[in-house]
Amino acid sequence: MSRIKSNLPRVLGTVAAVTLSAMVGGQAVAQEIAIGAVVPSSGPFAEWGRSNTVTLKMLEQQTNDAGGINGAKLKITILDDAAKPAQAASSLRKLAGDEKVLAVAGPLTSSAAEVTFPVANEMKVVSTSQASSKPGVAKLNRPWAFRNTIDEGVLAKTTVPFYKKAFNIKTVAVIFDAKDATASTVGKAIMPAVLKANDITIANENDLLSFNTGDLDVSAQVTKLKALNPDGVVVSADYSQAITVLREMKRQGLIKPVVGATQLISSAILKAAPEIPVIAPATFYATMKGPAPEKFTATLTPLLRKESGLPKDIEPSMYDANIYEIVSMYIDAIKKAGVTGKPADLEADRTKIRDHLAKLEGFAGLGGPIGFNDDGDAIKAFYVLQGQNGTWDTKVKGCSSAPNHPAC
Amino acid sequence: MLIQQLVNGLTLGAVYTLLALSFSLVMGILGILNLAIAELFMIGGYLGFTLIQAGFPLPVAVLGGMTGAAMIAIVIEKIGYQPLRDAPLVTPMLSTLGFSIILQNVATNIWGSDPAQLPDEYFGKQYTLGPVNIGEMQLIVLIATVVLVALVAFIVQKTPMGRALRAVAENREVARILGVSADRLTMLAFILSGSLAGVAGVLIALHYGTITPYLGVEIGLKAIAVMVIGGTRQIWGALVAGPLIGIAEVLTVAYGGSQVRDFVVYGFMILILLLRPQGLLGGARSDQGQRV
Amino acid sequence: MSTYYASLLAESGILLLGALSVYIILATGQLSLGNGAFMGIGAYLSSYLTVALNVPLTLALVISAIAAGIIGAIVAFPALRLKGIYLAMATVGFGEMVRSFFLNFDAMGGSGGYRGMQHISVGYVWLWAGGVLIAVMLLERSRVWLEMQAVHDDETAAGLIGLNTTVTKIVAFGVGAAVAAISGGLFAHHNVYIEPANFGFDRSIEFVLAVILGGSTVGPGSLVGSLLLVFLPEFLRPIADWRLAAFGTLLIVVLLVRRQGILDRSLIRTLTFRRAAA
Repeated sequence: MSRIKSNLPRVLGTVAAVTLSAMVGGQAVAQEIAIGAVVPSSGPFAEWGRSNTVTLKMLEQQTNDAGGINGAKLKITILDDAAKPAQAASSLRKLAGDEKVLAVAGPLTSSAAEVTFPVANEMKVVSTSQASSKPGVAKLNRPWAFRNTIDEGVLAKTTVPFYKKAFNIKTVAVIFDAKDATASTVGKAIMPAVLKANDITIANENDLLSFNTGDLDVSAQVTKLKALNPDGVVVSADYSQAITVLREMKRQGLIKPVVGATQLISSAILKAAPEIPVIAPATFYATMKGPAPEKFTATLTPLLRKESGLPKDIEPSMYDANIYEIVSMYIDAIKKAGVTGKPADLEADRTKIRDHLAKLEGFAGLGGPIGFNDDGDAIKAFYVLQGQNGTWDTKVKGCSSAPNHPAC
Repeated sequence: MLIQQLVNGLTLGAVYTLLALSFSLVMGILGILNLAIAELFMIGGYLGFTLIQAGFPLPVAVLGGMTGAAMIAIVIEKIGYQPLRDAPLVTPMLSTLGFSIILQNVATNIWGSDPAQLPDEYFGKQYTLGPVNIGEMQLIVLIATVVLVALVAFIVQKTPMGRALRAVAENREVARILGVSADRLTMLAFILSGSLAGVAGVLIALHYGTITPYLGVEIGLKAIAVMVIGGTRQIWGALVAGPLIGIAEVLTVAYGGSQVRDFVVYGFMILILLLRPQGLLGGARSDQGQRV
Repeated sequence: MSTYYASLLAESGILLLGALSVYIILATGQLSLGNGAFMGIGAYLSSYLTVALNVPLTLALVISAIAAGIIGAIVAFPALRLKGIYLAMATVGFGEMVRSFFLNFDAMGGSGGYRGMQHISVGYVWLWAGGVLIAVMLLERSRVWLEMQAVHDDETAAGLIGLNTTVTKIVAFGVGAAVAAISGGLFAHHNVYIEPANFGFDRSIEFVLAVILGGSTVGPGSLVGSLLLVFLPEFLRPIADWRLAAFGTLLIVVLLVRRQGILDRSLIRTLTFRRAAA
C-alpha cells in the first residue's frame, strides 16, 4: 500500500510530463520555414533576377520582423538559373531535394518553366512562375505547377477592344519576335484571332512581319509596315526588343499607336519613343494607386536603387510584384493550412500548400484579390495601360476570371 | 519603297562591313578567329553612350570607344593569344571566347541587362529626299564606313607597317628572318582590329540609339559570314560584301518572308565557301587553311 | 543519390556524347562547330518517333542516329574541300541554317517547342554515354584510329601512302553526327521539352569546349570536360553575379597552362601506373 502510494506521484508526474511534451511537441512548429526561389541573376535577364532577389529579401525581412510564421523564422533560398532551362530544373531539384523547401517561387522564363514544371510534378513540390505567360505552360503540368500571370489570350480580349475604340483602329499590321515563343504565339495566333473578332483588318495577314531576338536592325520590316499604312501596329515582343522596333518606327516617321502583350510593360519602353502611345495589359506597374501597391513601391524602390549592379533609376517591375505575391501566398498557405514545417511532415506540408493554392480565392494581392483557375493561371485584376510621354496611365480595369466568378 | 529598302540595306551593310573588317584583320594575318571582337564592338558602344550622355561631343565619344576597345584588345593579345600562338587554331579561338564571356558579364554588371537608351533628342535630323528617308546619323555611319575602310586599306597596302603586316600574313617565319618583329605586328593587328570594332560600336550604337550587353552575339556571326563572302584577306572585299549581304537581307524581308532571312545569309556563305572559297574579291586560294 | 546530383550526372552524360561527337570528327583534323544541329536533328526526330508514332525509345534513338549519320555524311562531301577555319565557319553556317529551319518548323512547334516525351533515368543516359565512350576508347587502339590520325597529321602524306582520306573523313563526320543525334535524343527525353534555341551555336561551342578543356588528344578527355562543364557552374554559385566571368577566366587559364586539355596520354599513364612505350 505504501509503495503504491509513494510511487503514484512519480508515475503521475511522468505521465503528465510525457503527455504535456507530446502536446507541445505536436503543436510546436519547426524553428525555420524554408521556401525556395529560382531567378535569373546572371545572363540576359540579370536585372529581373537581381531585382527579384531584393524583393524577396525585403519580404523575408518584413515577415521575420513581424514575428515570423507561427513563431518560426522564414528563410528564402534563392538560386540563379541564368535563364537556362537546364539550370532552372537542377535548381529546383536542389531546392526541393537537398534544401527540402516547402514550395518554390519561379522560374521566371517560359523556356525554363517548360522544363522545370515537369520536375516539380516529379518531386511533388509547388512551383509558381512570376513571369511566364506563354499559353498553356502551367495547364500541361498540373497539379503542381502554377503561374501568377494571366494567359495572354485572356488579356488580349480586353486590351484590343479598348485599343480599337481609343484610336479608332480599322486596320493594323503585325510584327513579332520569331525567336521568342510567347511573342510568336501572341503574334501569329492570339492577336490575329482577337483582332478578327473585333472586326479589325490585318493589313499583312498573309505575311506577318518578324525579326529575331537580338536583331539590331529592323529597318526593312518597319519600312514595309509603313508602306502598308495601317491605323496601328501590333508589336509582339519582349520590351527590350520592342524598343528597337519603336525607335525605328519613330526614325522612319511611323507614329501610330502600338498594342501588345504584357511583355511590353516596363519603364524602359516609355523612353523609346514617348510620342507613340503603347497599349498593353499589366497586373502591376510602379505608379499604381492604392494602399498596398503604393506601400510596396515606396518600401522597395530605395532598396532597389541601393543595390549595386542595378540602374540608379530602377523601379519595381511587374515581376517583382508577382514574386512578392507568390511567396506571400505561400506564407498564407503555411499559416492557414496547418503546415508544421517539420522534416517528417515535408510531403504532407507540400501537398497542403498545393491544395490551398488550388482553392485560393480572394487573396489580397497588390493589385486586388488573387485566385487560381483550373489551368494553374492566376485569376486577378489587370489593367490596360497606355504608355505615352514617359508615364503609364490606367485606362481599363479587367479581371481574368469568367464573368461571374467571385474571385475579382 | 524599294529605294528606301536599299538605303536600309546599305546602313545594315555598313555595320557588317566594319565588323567583318575587324574580324578579317586578325583572320587574314594570324589565321585565327578572334571571337571577342563582337564584344569589343559592344563595349565600344557602351563607352560611346556613356560619353555622349555625359555631354561630350561625338568625336570625343568615338575616340573614347576606340581607345577603350583598343586597350582591351591589347590585354586579349597579351594574355589570350601570345602564349598560344603556336597551338592549334582552335585553342586561341576558344581563349578569345573566354574573353567574350567575361566582357559580357562585366557589361551586364556595370550597365545592366536592360537596353541602355539614348534620349531621343540625339537622333539628329532626318532628311527626306523624295520617297527616301535618311537620318543624319545614318549618313555619318555610311560615310565613316567608307573612310575607315579606305584608311585601313591605305595602312595595309601603302605604309611600311602595312607591308610588314602582309609579310607576316604570308609567312611568319620568313618575315622574322627578314627582320620583321612578328610579335609587335601581331599586337598591331589586334590593336587595329580592336579600334575599328570600337569605333564601329560607337557609331552604330548612336545610330540605333539602344544597346544591350548581348548586342554582339547575333551580329558577330553574320559579320563572320560577310567576311567569308568578301574574302577573308581582302579589305575591299568587306566593303563590297557588307552592303551586298545587307541589301540581300533587307530585300528578303521586304519581298520574301522575314523568317527565311538567316537561311539566305548563311546559305550564301556556304555557297561561296564551296564555289569560290577565296571570296568574291579574293585572289589566292584561301581555302587552304591551317590545320586545326 | 539526390535527384539534384542525378540530374547533373544525366546532363554530363548527354554532354559527353556531344563532346565525343566533336572528338571523333576532330581526330581527322576537321573542326566542326555545327554539331548542335545534329543534336537537334536527333532530338526532334526521336521525339517525333516516340510521341507521335509510339516507337520504343531505344529503337527511336537508333533510327535517329542513322538518319543523322547519313545527313552528316552528305554534309561531309562538300566539306571535303574546306580546311581549318573555313570548314569551321561552314559548319557554323550549317548549324544556323538547321536552327532556323526548326524555328520555322511549325509542325513540331516551331519556336513554341515540342513536348510529350517520357522522362528517362540517369542510368539509361549513362548506358548510352558509357557505351559510346567505351566504343571510342576501343576504337582508339585500332588501326582505323591510326588512319584517322594520319589524315589529321598530314593529309597529303596520308593520301600518298595509299590511305583513302576521303572515306575516312566522311565516315568520321557521319559517325560524329550519329553520336550527336543520340545526345539529342537523350536530351529530349531527359528534359521532356525541346525548343530550337537548345541546339544553336552555343551548344556546338559547348561540345568543343568540353573536348578542348577536358583533353583533346584522348577519348576520356571528353568525360573530364563534360563533368567539368556541368558541375563547375553549380560549384561557382556562391559567386552569383560573376559566375559567367569566373567561367570565362577559368577557360582562359586552363588553355594557357595546359593547352592539350586536362587529360592527356602521359597523365593517363601516370594515373594507371603504366610505363611509356620504350
